[in-house]
Amino acid sequence: MTAASTLAVPGRTQPGAATRRTGPGLAGGRGGIWFVLPFMVVYAAFVLWPLLYGLGLSFFDTSLVRAESRFVGLANYALLFSDPEVWRTLGVTVLFTIGSTIPLVVIALAMALLVQTGVRGQWFWRFVYFAPFLLPVATVVLIWQWLFSGDFGLFNGILTGIGLPAVGWLTEPEIGLWSVVILTVWWTVGFNFLLYLAALQAIPAQLYEAAELDGAGGWRRLLSITLPLLNRTTGLVIVLQVLASLKLFDQAYILFKANGGPGGSATPILQYVYDTGFTDYRLGYASAISYVFFVLIVLIALVQARLTRRSEP
Amino acid sequence: MTTSHRLSRRTFLRATAAAGGAALLSSCARGPGGAVDLAYWNFFTGSDGELMVGLVDRFRSEAPNVRVTDTTLMWGPPYYTKLAMACAGGRAPDLGTLHASRLPTFGTDLLDEWDVDELAARGVSMDEFPEPVRKRVTIDGRVMALPLDTHPMVLYYNTDICEKAGLLAPDGTLAPITSADQMLEAGRRAAEVTGSTGIAFGSADNLGGWMVFWSVFRQLGGQMRLPDGGPAEVDRDAVVQAMSFLRDMADGTVASPTLDGQAASAAFASRQTGFLIHGPWEVTTARTAEIPFSMTQFPAVYGDTPYVRADSHSFVLPAQARVDPAARSAAYDMAVSMLRNSLDWASGGGHIPALSAVAESPEYLAQKPISNYRGAAQVVQYDPEAYFSGSGSTLMSRAGQSIQGVTSRALTPEQGADDLIGWLDSQLKLGSPL
Repeated sequence: MTAASTLAVPGRTQPGAATRRTGPGLAGGRGGIWFVLPFMVVYAAFVLWPLLYGLGLSFFDTSLVRAESRFVGLANYALLFSDPEVWRTLGVTVLFTIGSTIPLVVIALAMALLVQTGVRGQWFWRFVYFAPFLLPVATVVLIWQWLFSGDFGLFNGILTGIGLPAVGWLTEPEIGLWSVVILTVWWTVGFNFLLYLAALQAIPAQLYEAAELDGAGGWRRLLSITLPLLNRTTGLVIVLQVLASLKLFDQAYILFKANGGPGGSATPILQYVYDTGFTDYRLGYASAISYVFFVLIVLIALVQARLTRRSEP
Repeated sequence: MTTSHRLSRRTFLRATAAAGGAALLSSCARGPGGAVDLAYWNFFTGSDGELMVGLVDRFRSEAPNVRVTDTTLMWGPPYYTKLAMACAGGRAPDLGTLHASRLPTFGTDLLDEWDVDELAARGVSMDEFPEPVRKRVTIDGRVMALPLDTHPMVLYYNTDICEKAGLLAPDGTLAPITSADQMLEAGRRAAEVTGSTGIAFGSADNLGGWMVFWSVFRQLGGQMRLPDGGPAEVDRDAVVQAMSFLRDMADGTVASPTLDGQAASAAFASRQTGFLIHGPWEVTTARTAEIPFSMTQFPAVYGDTPYVRADSHSFVLPAQARVDPAARSAAYDMAVSMLRNSLDWASGGGHIPALSAVAESPEYLAQKPISNYRGAAQVVQYDPEAYFSGSGSTLMSRAGQSIQGVTSRALTPEQGADDLIGWLDSQLKLGSPL
């Protein structure tokens, strides 16, 4: 959603002199607050307040099932730095983010280029590539559970059919997380594909015509016109994808039936937060972990903003 | 045109508001004739779910003045998390289902005890339950859960395959298995007949691995005490030996190391294996597949007593901020009704009825093969007591990791034991949140 609106903005809004000349417009009027208020109330009640409340919780030994709780200062934070499970599950999340972002960008770009370079029935490809993105996570996982199934699955059926050994997609500790990556790529690549396709269609045709007149071939046009003009979109896709991948929880949780995958190899940090807070009732400690994760995400976002700003002309 | 449009929309809105208001009112108020609303939560899906709906419907017909709303949630952490949160928030259902092994998770604050006199008034006495089951649901002399059944891990065997493998006694039942080596050998011989593997069990499944592990660990005389604050008091040697047994079984011939629970019963149902080690509820799968099969108590592969990991579905009274006496009384009626009618539950789902009146009834004893393993109720081994243990618990899922590490040969049994014990120590050191 955010992505779509961000894309639409640069083309349409023309903050020009016209706005300034009309004097106090809608933005300056006093009535505006009443339009924003309903949203602000909901936002404050369901986002800001829980955010602050959670931060407060992280300094208490609050339990989900006990009425009283004690102030423990930074004990939760001290504990999490020595809790190997925090760092292990954070590692899983980071590995997933790296492992899924790369294919989700590269494959989306390749698919968009293929569709753009004149396959017949573009609407059909647009539809089939985007369709999985519309499925609810439970449905996606149900399909893939059967595809990945060790002794009955389609994948192992094909592998053993052509004489290769079966793979423990959901049972081998080295493979479990990559099964989540494969599933996630199939499920969400359509969104990035659509962003790329929109960007490709926005490249003016005359650029290609001019290049063609100058004798540039297909590859030259791709490398010198298409890819450079997609830079901004690539930046956007990477930012959105990294943030989406860091949020890994639901598909891994359902795929491995809440058990964290073979040998815990597919337990993202958010699942550890969930398990700690809701299954083991330790709300205070879970809050502390999620705040450390939050700080890490903010740091990543800042670094990324810095990098993209520098790379832009 | 416009007028009629507006009119019809207004009428529609008015009708909707009236209907909504009526629904709201009817849900708040007691219906005519002093009807009582009763909310009941359970976690039964699949074939057990159907049987449970049958039990609920039966109560509905027995007590027409009680309006039962039954809610089915996904088994395991999703259910227990929601129930605990509902109890903590004071707006829990009037009656809930719980695995007896999960009682420690709910401590003493989240559940109300069953009043023995109220039960006696409805003709149920606690002496009517098997002793190990009764002990598990009684905490500090208070009855915290009312057991509906016992479901031990059991051994299914395909009579056709076992006959070809020469594993049957002259009377057509499975020849006794009295040691771990015999169990593995039986698996190997069944594998020769099937051409794939001999035994199916959920080797890649937390519950499947844990059931075998805990049974064998207890047969080896293993003890596991989990005191708050730690360290865990565990017989490491027994853990190592139980894990070795699992590894030896999941060698790719005796049993596949890559089956989850569902796939294990599917393998047995499609005649790819001669045996299945699973919960008794998979009897439905085997019956549906119409294969020639029977069931028996899981044998003593170590020691003399066939201790076996089991659990009991039971009914609990979740703590509520405000208890409605009429609903509470209806909850007693409903629980007792379901206990009395548990023959269908047993014959359909393979569970051993907890109530002796049902478990000793000729109707139940005539049910074959499911009454074959009723003796297991006397040797059941519940999971160790801790707030994080029991069916679908953190312990089961974390122990499952260690066990699967061993069955997939990523860890040696010694490493698996240290992995599990190390985790137990660190978990206990955190202190109980109860």
